[in-house]
Amino acid sequence: MGIKLRRSVAASAAAVLGLSLMAACGGDGTTDEGPESETSTAGGTLKVLQHFPYEASDPQRIYYGVQLAWYRRLIYRGLLAFPMSEDPEEATTPVPDLATDTGTSSEEGRVWSFTLKDGVKWEDGTDITCEDVQYGTSRVFANDLITGGPNYTLSYIDVEDYPGPYKATPAQQQAFEEAVSCDGKTITFRFNKPWADFPQAIAGMMMTDPYKESFDEGAKSQWKVLSNGPYKVEGGVWEKNKGATLVRNPEYDPATDDPETLRLALPDQIDYQIDPSETSGELFNDRLITDAPDVQNAITTARVVPSQFAQLEGPVLDRYLNVESPYTQYLTPNFNRLKDVKVRQALAVALDLDGYVKALGGDKAAAPAESIVNPSVSGYQPNPAFDGDNSGDPEAAKALLEEAGVEMPYPIKLAYPASPTADKAMAVIKEGWDAAGFDVTLEGQGDTYYDVISRPDDDFDVSWAGWGADWPSMMTVLPPLFDSRPNFSPTTCGQDYGCYESDEFESLVDQAANSATVEEQTSFLQEADVVLGEEVAYIPLDTSKFNWLWGSKITGFTTTAASSSYPEIGLIGVTE
Amino acid sequence: MTTGTELESHFIATDLGPEAPEDRKVASKSPTQLALARFRKDKLSMVSFVIVVFYFLAALAAPFLVQAGVLNPFTTHDELLDANTLPLGGFGGISWDHPLGVEPGVGRDVLSRVWYGITFSLAISLSATLLAVIIGVVAGIVSGASGGWIDAIIGRIIDLTLAFPQTLMLLALSSVALAFITEVLGVPAGDPARALYVIVVLGLFGWTGVARIVRGQVLSLREREFVHAAQLLGASKMRLYFREILPNLWAPILVTFTLIMPAFVSAEAALAYLGVSIHPPTPTLGNILRDSLSYAQNDFVYFFSPAFLIAVIVVSFNLLGDGVRDALDPKGHQ
Amino acid sequence: MWAYIVRRCAVGLALLLALTLVTFALFFASPVDPARFACGKNCSEQQRDQARKALGYDKPVYEQWGNFVKGVVVGRDFPADPELRAAAPEVVTHCEAPCLGYSHLNARTVNELVKDAAPVSISLAVVALVMWLIGGVLFGILAAVTKGSFMDRGIVGLTLVAYAFPTFFIAVFFLKYLAVKWQVMPYPAYTSIEEGGIAAWMLNLLMPSFTLALVFMAGYVRMTRAFVLESMTEDYIRTARAKGLQGRKVLFKHGLRAALTPLVTMVGLDFAALLAGAIITESVFAYPGLGLLTVQASAAYDLPTIIGVVILAGSFVILANIIVDISYAFIDPRVRLG
Repeated sequence: MGIKLRRSVAASAAAVLGLSLMAACGGDGTTDEGPESETSTAGGTLKVLQHFPYEASDPQRIYYGVQLAWYRRLIYRGLLAFPMSEDPEEATTPVPDLATDTGTSSEEGRVWSFTLKDGVKWEDGTDITCEDVQYGTSRVFANDLITGGPNYTLSYIDVEDYPGPYKATPAQQQAFEEAVSCDGKTITFRFNKPWADFPQAIAGMMMTDPYKESFDEGAKSQWKVLSNGPYKVEGGVWEKNKGATLVRNPEYDPATDDPETLRLALPDQIDYQIDPSETSGELFNDRLITDAPDVQNAITTARVVPSQFAQLEGPVLDRYLNVESPYTQYLTPNFNRLKDVKVRQALAVALDLDGYVKALGGDKAAAPAESIVNPSVSGYQPNPAFDGDNSGDPEAAKALLEEAGVEMPYPIKLAYPASPTADKAMAVIKEGWDAAGFDVTLEGQGDTYYDVISRPDDDFDVSWAGWGADWPSMMTVLPPLFDSRPNFSPTTCGQDYGCYESDEFESLVDQAANSATVEEQTSFLQEADVVLGEEVAYIPLDTSKFNWLWGSKITGFTTTAASSSYPEIGLIGVTE
Repeated sequence: MTTGTELESHFIATDLGPEAPEDRKVASKSPTQLALARFRKDKLSMVSFVIVVFYFLAALAAPFLVQAGVLNPFTTHDELLDANTLPLGGFGGISWDHPLGVEPGVGRDVLSRVWYGITFSLAISLSATLLAVIIGVVAGIVSGASGGWIDAIIGRIIDLTLAFPQTLMLLALSSVALAFITEVLGVPAGDPARALYVIVVLGLFGWTGVARIVRGQVLSLREREFVHAAQLLGASKMRLYFREILPNLWAPILVTFTLIMPAFVSAEAALAYLGVSIHPPTPTLGNILRDSLSYAQNDFVYFFSPAFLIAVIVVSFNLLGDGVRDALDPKGHQ
Repeated sequence: MWAYIVRRCAVGLALLLALTLVTFALFFASPVDPARFACGKNCSEQQRDQARKALGYDKPVYEQWGNFVKGVVVGRDFPADPELRAAAPEVVTHCEAPCLGYSHLNARTVNELVKDAAPVSISLAVVALVMWLIGGVLFGILAAVTKGSFMDRGIVGLTLVAYAFPTFFIAVFFLKYLAVKWQVMPYPAYTSIEEGGIAAWMLNLLMPSFTLALVFMAGYVRMTRAFVLESMTEDYIRTARAKGLQGRKVLFKHGLRAALTPLVTMVGLDFAALLAGAIITESVFAYPGLGLLTVQASAAYDLPTIIGVVILAGSFVILANIIVDISYAFIDPRVRLG
């Protein structure tokens, strides 16, 4: 699963289309802000306006990009973490957090060990031990109770039939503790295959974060928080639909940390306000636009929507940032139905991408994509199959359909998660395709969207999907989405929504997986992307842009690659 | 609460209690002409009537106008939008070509969309109303005519139906019922299945008021001479009730109809807001309004048009219902 | 009298039982596998099976229904599967009677979810009720006594127009204009009485409750107006008038009392229905009440929560009906015989 934007993945899809984002990177000159230009002082209360509820506050169950990034800065330190750097390269290079260094690997990446720092403590004052890390890692295996989080470790850690710590027999537990072993403060992970970018995987995600066994209540721990970061949750429980008040954690010792790089922790208090409704995000930004007194110390998880773009003018621009996000949207042709590559090519050629982007809200909201790989992922290059003209060429498409010898109009059912913006954007796609000799039926779906389209027997010809890399490696983009082997089961095509299956592609993936260096891995995957393009296994749509507003008393507002282009909460302070 | 379906029972309860003595008119010589005459004198009702007729004509004409290309609810015009994808020229981009402006984002003609939207909104609410009325009339007649345990059972079913929280059920059942409609009944997924869902669920939860009224009427008609006469002539009981009593029920049924209909127009809009009704690009007043809500501050024309059209039809239908009732029953309500 | 009350309660209980049965039948008639959504997205077959067991979805529907009813009466333990409970006693959650179920997605019992959300919905319903009742009755009387005048038409017309605009349109209009653009009203965010005191609680409820009250106002205005007018023509009023009583006195002393009795029935039933949450108002204002809980539950296909709330809502209505009927029986002894 790609890092989640919002709600369930299904809903996150709707979110990308429904709410819109920004065009950053100085593209339109609206962003002259930088954290350096402001004086950051400690103290005050920061307000966080959130428009959707999290699914859990248990570290092993978290998968939202923004939640992973923010919790890492505020309450859950990991063995490693990504620095708060505006330089994308730096921000995606892990640095030590609870561990003394970024880990040592041996046996060609099959074994990784880390040593815990001295003096790192839980909020109850006890030391964080190697056994805590071991226990946290083991919880992911109890996937009947600890649901929802990333489960990469399940296929890597060298243990078989381990059901997690709750139901394991002593022998099973023993086997796990051999695979993930403790020696004093040193934890060693033993994998069944090389895992070259393991540090990246655990810096951003929490599947190997420590968890204190005596604190654990299984599924009942879903909303409990035992912090080890600079803040703790007042009352110890995160309230799903309300959030929490974060106050300073007296057991946190900045000396064990690198605050400049990982978390400045400036505000004395952070008040979360969660208003989970369809309209709340838009209304947060309405209030931020007017800089209403009660939101002057606020940031929000909600992005400015296109209907509000016209209000981004004058002094509002001083509190506005438009950045490219790590989320890319694409269409997948269904290989069980569209078997002729010419038909798939015709779809790609006829796509009116410019009109589509405009319907999403224009260039503040999205940028046309030329690969399913997001530009923030290392090794990104435009896919040669899709780097042409973006306005759609119905005539060329028609010619392709004629070549394919299919009857026109060729019926196409296009599935997507319905939302007002998505409905409009898909209408543009339909218009372009209809002009090229297709006859498109739009099938807007509800919140269980991804479940519907992953069924191999669905009768959709093309499905919309969105993806954000779990860490900035193409290994977390192409194989999870197009390798049939981990995806297919008798009842589902998994995340390979088009049920695409290709030996050529899969052998390139295998070569990448077994590569000794990241460079070699990248070049195999670039080749694999070319294969996908030639077969039109996907049609890239857009890279979302995030549009952020914040209150006038906020300092240090910026976004980083480490924060998935969400506000970098570790740098944010409040004046007065 | 929000669908307004609750209200329907108020209006009915207020205006036409089960004891409303309809039989007086039945007995008069030319009740229809009398009622018509009264109705014609009532200006407000006549205006409402004209508006309702106008909506229905518009709804009927729209598909032909779309076919002929006069209305164009699907063609996008991004040349009419500015960089923020709002309509160029202010006031929602109103022009001769686009009298209500164009839609922000993609520039489709708003007039065409709301006009065509009326067709789908009215088709859904009319079908749902018919379904509710049919179920209600049959249940009411059977219940009132049979008496005894059948009457009791129908009474309990009504209680049970009323106990279900309607809006909540409409929303919560949608995913389950849509799967049932498409996979078990084989209705094509998408708009047909969604429309059917809305119609069926509104109908199934909306018939109880009709049933109660009809039952009351049947009870009062049961003792009348023509019924006795027919019975003496050997007519079967049920046949008797449907053949002889139904024609005498048209007045309360008509009134009920005009009061349920607007409630269902509102309900369709509420369901569209919750994402349950027909999805765009097929327009309904509800799904256009859902999109237009974001533009409350930046494109007021677009924000206001669909809501206004909904309000007008709802008000007109309610006033029409009042007028029809007053015309049929001049005594009761001043 | 007691016999009547007992009989009425028995019928209510039977109705409640039927309600649970029909609810289960409705939600499990679908070909959708509820376990599919219970463990989130990338859920393996094996996880799905486990979730199915944990929730008891592997059992036939009637058995699940039986367990549910048993839970309501004596409480129950989750996960539903005894094997799972035995294997990991530390994860067992006990759900006290009346147990409405267990939401796997929230890892909490439905009772706890309801306990959190109910105060919000109740607050909204109470304040809205006060608003529409005061507004509806006062305007209704005003319209009745000024029958046929500009005032009468204005009141009836305006409330009808307010009713005719969709609730979510009015709610969004209030929020975007009153609270955000003009800032004449504070931006509403639910504040409980413990948190902010009565004043803050009330102030935050004004807009959402008013939105909700507008939906009902028109009906109550018309109803009050009609009842008052009707009772004015009753014989005893005419008699009172003939005896020389002043118009206003007649109205309040005799007419109003008779007119308001049926109103009480309506209020009881409407209020009961609202207790289960005002879905649209709560959604637009982001008030975390039962309505919003339902919206979230149906979006995530969280069946236990949906079923729990539906049944809770149904029992409110059934209970309100019983109360209304019994109070009628006290007022009018003839009812008992019927």
